[in-house]
Amino acid sequence: MSDISTEKYIEEARRGIANPVLQKALVGLQDRFGRGTAEAYRRLPEGPDLRIKAHEIREKAIANLDVLLEILADKIRANGGHLYFAETAQEAVDYGLAVARRNNVRLVVKGKSMVSEEIGLNPALEAAGIEVVETDLGEYIIQLAGEKPSHIIAPAVHKNRHDIADLFVQKLGIRRTTDPPELTHAARKALRAKFLAADMGTSGVNMACAETGHITTVSNEGNIRMATTMPRVHVAFMGMERIVARLDEYEIILRLLCRGAAAQTMGTYASYIGGPRRPGESDGPDEFHLVVIDNGRSRILADPQFREMLYCVRCAACLNVCPVYGKIGGHSYGFAYSGPVGAVVTPLLTGINRAKDLCQGETLCGACRDACSMNIDLPRMLLALREKLAYGDAAWQVKPASRAEGLAYRGWSWLIRNRRLYELGLKLAATGQKLLPHRKGMLRRLPPPVQGWTQSRDLHPLAEETFMERWRRTRKS
Amino acid sequence: MDTRDQINFFRRIRAALGHAPDVSRNASHLFAEGPSPEELQLLDRIRRRTAEGRQALLERLVEAGKPINLSVTALPDVAYASAAIVRLVGEKKPEWGDAKHIAAWRHPLIDRLNLPEALDRLQVPVHATAPIPIDAGSQFDQVERERQRAGIIASFIGVTSADFCLADTATLVMRNRPGQPRSAALVPSIHVAVIHLDQILSDMKELFALLRWDERYRSEGLSNYMSFISGPSKTADIEATMVHGAHGPREVHLFVVTE
Repeated sequence: MSDISTEKYIEEARRGIANPVLQKALVGLQDRFGRGTAEAYRRLPEGPDLRIKAHEIREKAIANLDVLLEILADKIRANGGHLYFAETAQEAVDYGLAVARRNNVRLVVKGKSMVSEEIGLNPALEAAGIEVVETDLGEYIIQLAGEKPSHIIAPAVHKNRHDIADLFVQKLGIRRTTDPPELTHAARKALRAKFLAADMGTSGVNMACAETGHITTVSNEGNIRMATTMPRVHVAFMGMERIVARLDEYEIILRLLCRGAAAQTMGTYASYIGGPRRPGESDGPDEFHLVVIDNGRSRILADPQFREMLYCVRCAACLNVCPVYGKIGGHSYGFAYSGPVGAVVTPLLTGINRAKDLCQGETLCGACRDACSMNIDLPRMLLALREKLAYGDAAWQVKPASRAEGLAYRGWSWLIRNRRLYELGLKLAATGQKLLPHRKGMLRRLPPPVQGWTQSRDLHPLAEETFMERWRRTRKS
Repeated sequence: MDTRDQINFFRRIRAALGHAPDVSRNASHLFAEGPSPEELQLLDRIRRRTAEGRQALLERLVEAGKPINLSVTALPDVAYASAAIVRLVGEKKPEWGDAKHIAAWRHPLIDRLNLPEALDRLQVPVHATAPIPIDAGSQFDQVERERQRAGIIASFIGVTSADFCLADTATLVMRNRPGQPRSAALVPSIHVAVIHLDQILSDMKELFALLRWDERYRSEGLSNYMSFISGPSKTADIEATMVHGAHGPREVHLFVVTE
């Protein structure tokens, strides 16, 4: 399993908010993609309601996942490809490693893939003495910098051109320039040499289609096409949920994926891969392997409350509208998936208690649901996770996140059902609050343990006269 | 040929879905026996497309190409296309070194361009990507594949055709075949595609209707590698500034022969 640092959510969020480069980049990102995607949905011939249709398609696919995966496996095998079904991240990584060893692989070129971040593919290959090169420009930049992606589609959004110029001078030995075309060309040149020398290419899978027996990958840069065309071996890693039944259904998903991801009508490259090079063809890999990964997904599948999360195609549209992601940035989420999708999927994959801050940090404003290309109700699932954290859940091995909070609410519930005591409490509080610091008639600070409420705002004090008192008084007069 | 990993994997999925863990379920309800009414309409629309209809698609294609930096030029016949390619070869500079080489598909339409002859005056070698004889033996196979790969890598322009072009998104659709390698449209800095006017379709819906239900295309299927290419390679990973030529071609020129 790759690094998980979900426990550092609050610390990382503070750091993100204090980082002016990140703040500027996030504003730009959300401004452009957030609005652009909404506009792109409106421009669909079928209108934004196509998302509802896509939701139905994904619902049907997930309800028949066993059948569809079986068909896909049979077709790819019939075309000369290899299939492996991995229960855990470790199994998936081990399989990839075994393929690499068997083929004496020394250099792997990698197409951007969040699932390979999830399973921790790079560190495992590197530990085996194999050089791994990220080839998406953004991923390449952060790999050179020794960092982690902070956005699903724009992984290096937290770096500006000056950071990248310094990095390239240091790592690629180029003359310093801050011109994006020149920087891009420097990376193009360095990576071309890698593509042509690599023995193995890896990729993710945007969506597979059972009817045709293909996986598809989408990119704008052409790096995935390079990584799946030039090396002798191609290994694709796929979350088991990434499949639809038919080509006409796939068409709808692809159009929405491109719009959700980058407000595009169509990504530059979409490749449909059904197997290795065939006899008579001069290019393409000799071996094609597809690794289908469970890694906790069957548990999500089994729970009707969360099954909907498996409809997700990781387009990242939710990141581009989320007010929380827009302030704290992707690193706070501490795992491969950031933003609202990460706030739901990371607790489900890595442990709800462990990643509790992720779902508690979101606002439930609903922007992610409106932006979702598959029309997934993320706020509903955020609430369901919070419910489990409040009361505990045996099936998911969740312990109540805060005993004190539970007790406090139980006490509150008891108190408001005992009217006299409640009113007495209000009176006491109304008097007691006079001892607290005030500013312009507002309470500036509450005492522990509720000091958090006034950390960044002042509170209205309790009224001298309670509602009930006023009710009685005005009714009399 | 179910392996143990697969058996356990499917047991878990079936159990999670509430089905008997060891029984494969029937899938026929998920697929269609024949085209839907909508698809029949699409197939009919393609079949009945008139010369004016094709011209209108060409105009849409030209428009869709503009925002994605795809240059689309209509030419009356292959001689014009050949001359246009010769002009490009003369004008453009190679990105990786000084020598000008080009690679070209073995394809009926591309063969008619007579590129080796047309480029003889400029002394530009043309690497043809011939199919590799299937019974030639693995030794020959490997040597020939490496020779073709080296030719494509040395080329600064790759000339291909395509199976279709989708007007709405300016998307070239290519299925990998012997003699028509996908790297010719990927590794050279400039990609030139030459197609016939009647290869233009409206959109993905039309394409998929043909691939699913038209016998001419259905039998070949999607091949083991079908590519959609919509304009030149691009990235916006540095401060969201659009740059063309990330890893694939920096320029794509599409010549539509209207003969």
